[in-house]
Amino acid sequence: MQAINELYDVVGDPLTYARRLKEQTGKKIIGYMCTYAPEEIIQAAGAHPLRLFGSNKNIFLADGHLQAYCCSLVRGVLEDALAGDLNFLDGMIFPHTCDTIQRLSDIWRLNISFGFHLDVVLPVKLNTKSARDYMIDVQNLFRNDLEKALQVRITDDSIKKSISLFNEIRSGLEKVYELKNINPEVISGKDLSVLVRAAMIMERNDYLKILQNVIAELEKKSGAAKAPGAKRLVLAGGICSQPDIYSVIEDAGGVVVGDDLCTGSRYFAGIINAEGDPIAAIAERYVQRPVCPAKHMDKNARAENLIKIAKDGKAAGVIFLLLKFCDPHAFDYPDLKEALARASIPSLLLEVEDQPQAQGQLKTRIEAFLETIS
Amino acid sequence: MYTVGIDIGSITTKAAALQHGKLVGTNLVFTGYNSAAAGKRVFTELLQNIGINETADIKIVATGYGRSSLDFADKAVTEITCHAAGAYFLNDKIRFIIDIGGQDSKAILLDDRGKVKNFIMNDKCAAGTGRFLEVMARALEINLDDFGALSLLAQNPAQISSLCTVFAESEVISLISKGVARENIIAGIHESIGSRIAALAARAGLTTPLMVTGGVAKNVGLIQALEKALGLKAEVSEYAQLTGAIGAAVLAGNL
Repeated sequence: MQAINELYDVVGDPLTYARRLKEQTGKKIIGYMCTYAPEEIIQAAGAHPLRLFGSNKNIFLADGHLQAYCCSLVRGVLEDALAGDLNFLDGMIFPHTCDTIQRLSDIWRLNISFGFHLDVVLPVKLNTKSARDYMIDVQNLFRNDLEKALQVRITDDSIKKSISLFNEIRSGLEKVYELKNINPEVISGKDLSVLVRAAMIMERNDYLKILQNVIAELEKKSGAAKAPGAKRLVLAGGICSQPDIYSVIEDAGGVVVGDDLCTGSRYFAGIINAEGDPIAAIAERYVQRPVCPAKHMDKNARAENLIKIAKDGKAAGVIFLLLKFCDPHAFDYPDLKEALARASIPSLLLEVEDQPQAQGQLKTRIEAFLETIS
Repeated sequence: MYTVGIDIGSITTKAAALQHGKLVGTNLVFTGYNSAAAGKRVFTELLQNIGINETADIKIVATGYGRSSLDFADKAVTEITCHAAGAYFLNDKIRFIIDIGGQDSKAILLDDRGKVKNFIMNDKCAAGTGRFLEVMARALEINLDDFGALSLLAQNPAQISSLCTVFAESEVISLISKGVARENIIAGIHESIGSRIAALAARAGLTTPLMVTGGVAKNVGLIQALEKALGLKAEVSEYAQLTGAIGAAVLAGNL
């Protein structure tokens, strides 16, 4: 699709994009790795939030600091940092989510000399009254820390402006998912995955314009054929850095109609209330949004959310796409799998890494899964 | 009408022909570098063996890792679905299959109509596969065909702790240098593969009756070690290595 083509370059090489953005606009670039980083506050500070997705390079520097059981995401980001590829960053933000990202924060503080370093110590349980109050305090503290680090004032008005920008992006992505759900052929899985990831990389105002063009194009096309034979699937897991997996699924006769991914619906789920205290409104979204397995909601919350996504998408099956060595997702997997089985939704587990996969095996598993759910 | 299944594996390429639901011929060649050429050759030879012409009415299903390289096949189906169909064809009581091939192993749970209910494949690592055994046979200077019988003589199977082919080979070499008897080393290798595959089977929902398929099923010592690890008896068909090709021929009947 025309409007999406330029996003492939951005997503293919986000660091070059971000370096150029900094040169052209003078904006401070703040790195983060997880959807619990309060992008709205970074944007309100006049800085640019840049999500980091790991590296395509061979890993050798990072292995001197990390155990063998750390995921390829953390390994790749540290490799890029140690190799000097991230030294244009003005700061790095570590929300407390999984153990490995928390430990990466320490390794970063001790080994990386460029930019400031901020931990955002979020509550783990999100379903209590005190968690909500604590979440507001954490966001306020982050606002103060960021003001000091960047030497700017972050006003309520600028946060509100930022909130409305992110609300537009989030509801726009939600809209694209709806169109894809109605007619899976309207946009390929690969294009959609690139569209979502670009939202975490690009200057957000520039991105919103492209997103609006994409939506306009899709709405024109939405009356087209509706992939009659394709089997509808949902993806679940953490990050998906391999848009090719969508092509493998489509070549095998499947189509992804929804997801519960950190690089998918968990990124854009939930609109922030534009009225009242903006910090409290940001905190409220975090406690309402579908959780990542590093956070705790009701013990059935994740399974219920996944089953709802599968049913809304009229999905014939769910593919779990778990990053190797991601223990929070691996611990949740058996419960989710059983909950799906009880709801008569078949599922397949694929363990993936940032680095390119053995394509043959991946293809066989996906094709065999599609053959079994006929 | 004839139906033919062609199973292009990582080490060997197999073919099977059915006529009116009866197995009428099989063939096996080494895959080598060119999987499409191996697929063509195994097919041409099979037709010669059973005395039919290539222009006859033949439906062909290709399977195995080289399944999409065969342009003359009517359809490509994964080896998981084909092993299920093949095992069900050989014995319709079978509800669980362990397929140990050249480069991967699979555990497959069947429903009572022979359809795949669940399956698990090992990782991209070669531990517990035919290739792993080939590497070990080379280190021990023994013909792989003698592996099974020799291991049955073991008095005291050695411990092989590593699951990695390369590390396990160096473990084997240090056992050799310690003077451990070959049969004990081989039995130890079989036990390490057996316990690894037992774990794979448990994750796929192991049940009985159980059939072991794939080329490695010809190794009687490994089957015994696997049965011990599972605490179950396994059925091994004389067509174990051809099960995928037979299943592909069965599925070609539905085209």
